Amino acid sequence: MNEYKILFTGTMGAGKTTAINALSDTATVNTDVHNSDTSVDKERTTVGLDFGQFTLDNGDRIRLFGTPGQARFDFLWKILSKGSLGLIILADNSRPDPLADICVFLEGFSDELNTLPCTIGVGRLDTHPNPSLDDYADLLADKNLIFPIIGVDVRRKDDVILLVDTLLAQLEANMSGVQD
Amino acid sequence: MAHSGAQKILSEVTGVTAVVVATVDGFDVASAIRGNTNASRIAALASSIAAISTVVSDETELGLSKSVIIDTESGFAVVYSVRRTDAELVINVIANSSAILGQVAYHTSQFARLLSAA
Repeated sequence: MNEYKILFTGTMGAGKTTAINALSDTATVNTDVHNSDTSVDKERTTVGLDFGQFTLDNGDRIRLFGTPGQARFDFLWKILSKGSLGLIILADNSRPDPLADICVFLEGFSDELNTLPCTIGVGRLDTHPNPSLDDYADLLADKNLIFPIIGVDVRRKDDVILLVDTLLAQLEANMSGVQD
Repeated sequence: MAHSGAQKILSEVTGVTAVVVATVDGFDVASAIRGNTNASRIAALASSIAAISTVVSDETELGLSKSVIIDTESGFAVVYSVRRTDAELVINVIANSSAILGQVAYHTSQFARLLSAA
């Protein structure tokens, strides 16, 4: 039986806590507190970490960790990424500049992304089709990165499983996203 | 009151180098600092630690977490949770090796009590 640690990150409101809660077999650990930032219409926000566990059909266990999204908690990004076998970056396409949001995480995790696989999940594409998945791909290509980019609704467990399966497939194929 | 309380601890308690009062989601609302400590970083750190300590106290069914002490080689930090009816706050006090833990803890808990009742 293998154990994998996967890290979920991405901007505030992208759905990290939701994704982990949707997928976890066990009761999740959450550190959500009251959000006092009135510029974001969200009642609660993660200030520590999210944690959940998920067992695959073959018996392998996935430990799911989630980071806070705001940059003021970036000290936790490094801590939480230790020992991760891959990253899932979630984007919220309803935000004013989702491509700029993704850049924050591509830069914040640039060391990890040199060696770890990553899958990008874009949320709220159905109501906010721009930027398109191709726009995301172009952004990554400019940075010499190639990662799968998938439109998802992380409230749906199957969509989160798709992200995890994609990441695991990259792991098995020994792929990281850096173009030489 | 948060400002004056923070300033009081900084000036009156031996060895204290920074006092930061933060919202539960990591924004600094009042601080008193000696030196280069970045109040907004400390506010974010303190809120994370307070939240993670809540996970520990929940998992262990020990009731609400009141404080966390981080004991280091050359000093310590104490993080106190303040629960008011209208908001939750986190007080972080950083002290060097000349400070006495019991003294810092006492003054910080007094400050926490004051802030929770105000």
